[in-house]
Amino acid sequence: MKLRRTFKLLAAALIAGACALGGAAAPSPAEALTVERVTARPNAGDTTNDVVGATETRITWEGLVDAGEDVEELALTLPEGTSYRSADTKAVLLTGENYMDRNEVSFEVSSEGQTITLSFDEPLSTAGRLNVQVYGVVFPAEGGSMQVTGTYTAAGAEHDLDAVAPIEVVGMSLPDQIAQYLEQQSWVAAWNSNKFLKLFFDPTILVTSFPVVFEGFLMSLAVVAVAFPLAIPLGLLLAVMRRARLALWRGIATTYVNVVRGTPLFLQIYIAFFGLPLAGIQVPSYVLGVAVVAMNSGAYLCEVFRSGIQSIDKGQFEAARSLGMTAAQTMFHVILPQMFRRVIPNLTSEFITLYKDTSLLAAVGVMELVMYAKTVVAATGSITPYIVAAVFYLVITLPLSRVTRRLEEYASGVRRRPHKAPSTASAA
Amino acid sequence: MAENNKAQTASAEPILRIENLHKSFGATDVLKGISLDIAKGEVVVVLGPSGSGKSTMLRCLNLLEEPTGGKIFFEGEEITAPKTDVNSVRERMGMVFQQFNLFPHLDALHNVMLAQCQVLKRSKEEAAKVARVQLERVGLGDRTDYYPSELSGGQQQRVAIARALAMDPHVMLFDEATSALDPELVRGVLDVMRELAQQGMTMVVVTHEMSFARDVADRVIFMEGGHIVEQGTPEQVFEHPKSDRTRAFIGQVS
Repeated sequence: MKLRRTFKLLAAALIAGACALGGAAAPSPAEALTVERVTARPNAGDTTNDVVGATETRITWEGLVDAGEDVEELALTLPEGTSYRSADTKAVLLTGENYMDRNEVSFEVSSEGQTITLSFDEPLSTAGRLNVQVYGVVFPAEGGSMQVTGTYTAAGAEHDLDAVAPIEVVGMSLPDQIAQYLEQQSWVAAWNSNKFLKLFFDPTILVTSFPVVFEGFLMSLAVVAVAFPLAIPLGLLLAVMRRARLALWRGIATTYVNVVRGTPLFLQIYIAFFGLPLAGIQVPSYVLGVAVVAMNSGAYLCEVFRSGIQSIDKGQFEAARSLGMTAAQTMFHVILPQMFRRVIPNLTSEFITLYKDTSLLAAVGVMELVMYAKTVVAATGSITPYIVAAVFYLVITLPLSRVTRRLEEYASGVRRRPHKAPSTASAA
Repeated sequence: MAENNKAQTASAEPILRIENLHKSFGATDVLKGISLDIAKGEVVVVLGPSGSGKSTMLRCLNLLEEPTGGKIFFEGEEITAPKTDVNSVRERMGMVFQQFNLFPHLDALHNVMLAQCQVLKRSKEEAAKVARVQLERVGLGDRTDYYPSELSGGQQQRVAIARALAMDPHVMLFDEATSALDPELVRGVLDVMRELAQQGMTMVVVTHEMSFARDVADRVIFMEGGHIVEQGTPEQVFEHPKSDRTRAFIGQVS
């Protein structure tokens, strides 16, 4: 028995640190009350067994009472920052084989600071398992290892309770804290009393769905960030092919562009995502999603580039060719640099289209913006996450439209910059 | 290859020889058999009403237009032959356009540098050096970092001339180089062209500037309806035109 106790103390010391070591330095002589465990009811509101901070839970404390000992008082000290309701505290003594018999214990409860004291009307002397339940316990929001300590009084002498494994409390996320705060606000209740506002703009769901939908936002960005840079060279290649002297190249490019632009992207996604696996080709959905939207956007960019090239004065080609430059040199050094400046507005609008079109990938299970929003909608029954998703689209599309306007000014070609002082020899 | 046809000019081998040149756009015949020899160092000014085919003839010379018939020899080589390296021909033939056609995304210096680097494979340093020399030559040494949109029409055209000269061409073609310019800007460009002529450059100049033709041309050619109607020294053509049409044209414009 002594050995076991020492071992337990040692284990507790490993977990609880210096505090428990202090207890080990002064072992209590009596064996009246042995703490078995201290637990808290899972309150994360999901399928996990997590105990989260800033949310109400119930602490269950269990200890074994030795026969013949008179336990007069039990004082439990909850960690700093933890609130509780002492009035509801319940205690029961489980006795008999497998501790199946419940014996109500009558006691007086008082509390001071973090300590709840149970003064038993009759000292406990029957061997059994004392089960104490403290209600209305709210751990600190930041979470952590919560150590419940305490003392007991037996035969007029006060002893420290054994240290046991602490309750691991998961910190509450900031959005959850904000949501919890909002839930208690009267203006939120007033707001949500309007059916329309509650359905589309529920403040608490707005806050809680934000981090979830944000993950989808990142995914959508990851799709366009790779797909668009791929679509640009594809579009350029197609545009150049459509201007080629050889009819074969023109034919291939024209057919591709017409087929891709003439069919819905949604259908193209279906064909790729359901067709390839059936053909025995397994491609990760992210890669396939990027490929399909890039190939789609490439066809549109081809037309953007083609009209951009066509808009460039014939004289530019002639000037370059008359200097002995080859068709390729003319294209790369004279035509394309001018063309790119001209098509920047169209290029940006294609980017915006592509970014929005990533939402179609939700239909085939790519976890992008809309898909994440959809899962929250399914869980909450509120449309609010879709509104959050809309905000995430606008976050990109609105500033881009403004950037486009700036780039257009740049693209107009005139760059004002300081010149050397004009000399008198400049008259034409 | 071109050695067998020396009948016309007893003097040196012409740098450019045009034989029975035809060009049609669809059903429209623009050039109806032009034959012309141009000697090295010669300044030939081509006059004629609009639509007479002068620009088309000029553009055929550096193959910007593909002739539909006839032959063109440049420095002894038939450039109308199917296997001709068109780029190497153009490299040796500078062209100046009515609309300047400077590259708007490059400043004056880089306009002059680009083809040097790309075609002649000159180093950036060397190309920049040549560009500065040529811009200085056309009086724009202080405008090297100006973009075309920041230059006047006359300055742009002079940059275009510098751009062509930087390629060390053997022949310069001017396609109405001053026609798009405001009158007060014309002189600067003509001065550059005059200077070029004095330095011995072979030039074919399509223009409406009669005084330039009179002062600078070694030979004046009058074209109408896709034919050469008359040619001769400026004195012959201006003072004693043989054809009534030439007389009428000169009377109109001067």
